[in-house]
Amino acid sequence: MNTANPYRLTLVLLSVLCLAACSSPPQQRRAAINQTDRAVNFSGFWELDYSQSDNIQDNLNALVRDVRQQSQQRAQASGVYQSAGPGMIIGGPGDTNSGASIIGLAQMADLVTQSQLLEITQDEHKIRVKREEDYALTCEFYPGQYHTVETPLGREICGWEQHQLIFKTLLPEGLTIQQVLSLAPDGQRLNIATTVISDRVTSPFTVNRVYVHYVPQDDGYSCKMTISKGRVCTTEKSR
Amino acid sequence: MYDGKIQVSWRAAAALALCCLVTLAARAQQWSPDPALAVPPVGDVTLRVEQSVPEAALLDVGLVIFNPGIPIDESTHSKLGIFPEIRKAEAQFMPVLLRQVLLATNAWGVVRVLPDEQASTELMVSGRILLSNGSELVLQVSARDASGKVWLDKTYRDLTTERDYPGSEDSDPFIDLYRQVANDLLAYRQSLDSRQLRAIRQVALLRYAASLSEDAFGSYLQQDPEGIYTLVRLPAQGDPMLARVERIRNQEHLFVDTVDEQYVKIYEEMAPTYTLWRQYGREQALYQQEYEARAQNRDRIGRRGTFPAMEQTYNTYKQIKIQKQDLDDMSQGFNNEVTPTVMEASGRVFRLSGTLQSQYNEWRSILRDIFALETGAPAGS
Repeated sequence: MNTANPYRLTLVLLSVLCLAACSSPPQQRRAAINQTDRAVNFSGFWELDYSQSDNIQDNLNALVRDVRQQSQQRAQASGVYQSAGPGMIIGGPGDTNSGASIIGLAQMADLVTQSQLLEITQDEHKIRVKREEDYALTCEFYPGQYHTVETPLGREICGWEQHQLIFKTLLPEGLTIQQVLSLAPDGQRLNIATTVISDRVTSPFTVNRVYVHYVPQDDGYSCKMTISKGRVCTTEKSR
Repeated sequence: MYDGKIQVSWRAAAALALCCLVTLAARAQQWSPDPALAVPPVGDVTLRVEQSVPEAALLDVGLVIFNPGIPIDESTHSKLGIFPEIRKAEAQFMPVLLRQVLLATNAWGVVRVLPDEQASTELMVSGRILLSNGSELVLQVSARDASGKVWLDKTYRDLTTERDYPGSEDSDPFIDLYRQVANDLLAYRQSLDSRQLRAIRQVALLRYAASLSEDAFGSYLQQDPEGIYTLVRLPAQGDPMLARVERIRNQEHLFVDTVDEQYVKIYEEMAPTYTLWRQYGREQALYQQEYEARAQNRDRIGRRGTFPAMEQTYNTYKQIKIQKQDLDDMSQGFNNEVTPTVMEASGRVFRLSGTLQSQYNEWRSILRDIFALETGAPAGS
């Protein structure tokens, strides 16, 4: 028997790969996740409430502790003694868990959660979370499927998970950002849990930002977008 | 014995691999772009214009409002880049533009835009929008004469360049596509002799007459198994019943002309905004392509996993998202500007209720009742 026949080996590998591809159609994989009947209405104007939100420094300290513990466990497993003092070197294989990567993760979390005002519009099939000084998070929801957007610069997936709306953005170079929106039972507070994941840090970094309802100031005019005249404003109230 | 089992396994694996490859190929086929959209573009087209056409050869043309080609599955719209409200407006805009081009050829009689198909139209042209954005237009166009003969059933594709914009009052960035349709229709018409053209006109009138009174006019026509109508005989010269039919048909044409005016009004009011929308969409698509190419090739700032590197990655993505969302805002701007015109024009005809299409059906029903009253024929027979 010639077990080293490369053609046969290729054939077996091909079969295994094909079986994997054939056996799980995308529709079935996605079916369980998107229950629009559990949708929550996030519509309205929201402003950041610092007092109820996480402090980035506290979360960074927690992350450092977590990474240290992991590092200690790894060291113990390999029989190397490490003192638990404040000057302990954080690190992992290669560039993993370097100080720059950990602090970078916290800075990234700060960057993507900087919006102080949100304007959310939502209907049966879509939501648009307009964020001050950032792009809007948008999602379309149809039963039995996640909404995905693919571009050469990143991939987005979003959908309902129980009463929470999840946005996941997978960016190049091992960077992933996840936002989970949930509403307090009284409907007055919106929590956005933003998690930043880097393939250079073994733990994710999560920041909770709490937003509260606000009523935008009535400027005495209303504006609408037009193509030929740009933004057109009138003193009439919008209907 | 052992070797034999292995042989069987290899064969099974080969069969399985083949089966799966076929499945994957089929899936790839499903995922690949619609082959209907991959027809060659029409290129630069010169409109063929007739110098003089005998009255008998001038066929009337009915252009039915196009099928907007909006998939029922709403979840596919954003992926396909379809803005439904804009597509609905385009479905009214495009036949009017084709009408202008057909009129410019001097080759046709009255060219009307119809809200609905009308089988007794001498030549009926319909269309379906397969793809429409600022860079590309793909239309499925078909034309059928009153006898049921298909003149045209073809996919047309046109691409724009920078010099096609901003367009002008009497032109359109995709004018070559419309000219090609007009040239193809003219080429077919020129292949028919005067006897055939006269027969089409007679069949059209008698099909209309039969739609008013099948009992009185049904026997003048014969339909073959393929649905093609031929004349069996003609009514006598001066037949009073046929004179009434012609009068009723003229009334219907009067209504259609009023409807047609509304479509032209929508077209005229929509054209500047619509051209801006397409120009903006094209520029945006080009910018996006170039930006993505630049972003993928640019030098990286900082080591992977550091803040400068992650910030660069995030900001690059943010930039492309803002561009795309700008297009969504513009589509809303289009709706704000054009939809009120479409709505207003639709409700104006003779104060009948409903859309232009339902008003048209209502009017036709009234005409049939008038004909039945005058002739004593059962209404709607």
